[in-house]
Amino acid sequence: MSHLSMEELVALREPGLEPGDAVAREHLQACLQCRAEMERLHQRVARLKALPPLRPARDRWPQVESRLLTERRRHRTRNAGLAGLAAAASIALGLALTHTAPPPDQFAQSQQIEEAMQRSQALESELSQFNPEGRVLDGRTAGIAQELEDRIAQVDRELEMTDLQGREARDSSLLQLWRERVGLLDALVDVHVTRASNVGL
Amino acid sequence: MDSYLLADAETVVARARAGDLDALEALYRAFEVPVYNLARRICRTAEDAEDVLQETFFEVCRSIGRYREEGSLWGWVRTIAASKALMRLRRNKYRETEELHDEVLGRHREDSHLRMDLEAALERLSETSRAVVWLHDVEGYTHEEIAEMMGKTPSFSKSQLARAHARLRRWLGEEGS
Repeated sequence: MSHLSMEELVALREPGLEPGDAVAREHLQACLQCRAEMERLHQRVARLKALPPLRPARDRWPQVESRLLTERRRHRTRNAGLAGLAAAASIALGLALTHTAPPPDQFAQSQQIEEAMQRSQALESELSQFNPEGRVLDGRTAGIAQELEDRIAQVDRELEMTDLQGREARDSSLLQLWRERVGLLDALVDVHVTRASNVGL
Repeated sequence: MDSYLLADAETVVARARAGDLDALEALYRAFEVPVYNLARRICRTAEDAEDVLQETFFEVCRSIGRYREEGSLWGWVRTIAASKALMRLRRNKYRETEELHDEVLGRHREDSHLRMDLEAALERLSETSRAVVWLHDVEGYTHEEIAEMMGKTPSFSKSQLARAHARLRRWLGEEGS
């Protein structure tokens, strides 16, 4: 048998037996040259482990802390904004239903808005139980989640702007925006659920 | 490693989970050097390694609630760091170091007379080979784990390791010794 290749030597350091390991081990026992090569491999690995640790030149904690605080502020603002929006929309709908007698199609639209809002709140609740901020995401998934969150924030801003519209236009916009919000939240929940089922981190 | 780095790990982790910034900073201080060292051994530049350090701890702070205490805290932090470092490698799409050096210096395989120190030889390996060597030989990851993190097969990891050792052996002047 010729001398052991580096692949064979490296494989012999692994725990367990692979096909061909027995023959290779037998050769190693008998061959001085291969034993010396294996010893050099062991020493190289030991020297790698003994390399002094490299240290960062700069303290990066201030950047980590600053980003963390920014994210916490953004999260609080979003939650507060959402609660305010939902409350304002409920009051507006309630007033509209109490003080005026809307035509049947308008009444149906108001009900649909109410349903979309309830669905949106249920999805927010599902998302918060899922703790998306405490989840490790790979780069691509994190990018998708970020994009969805940005679009939700955009919808929230547009919901705030509906106050400036006339009633009919407002109801029509509200329904469209709340439905869009539900769709985006649905997608965001899917991202986190799919990720959770795929990853053990 | 945990008990050495973080004397009262359980309490610190509990406070960190509650969002206590001092506790999160204590985690950073405890693991800053090993995380940076791992990142620096994998990434080409110190700047990239510092970015990985920052990304890793941002992720640790966000995800500490998910740490189950089934494995060691360092093992958990290290997996995040390794993933971030490998992600950066993929993103930067570095050219293979040794190929670049060979092109620039107009040499191919006639460098057997070279005798480098271990740091220089390690630095000269391609990013992928160096990452495999470090993760396997120093950090103790299996080929299966490395393959999963890199999105490759265990055979790829094994052959990278063998090729890297063959090169290190030559560059360290161990041939025929």
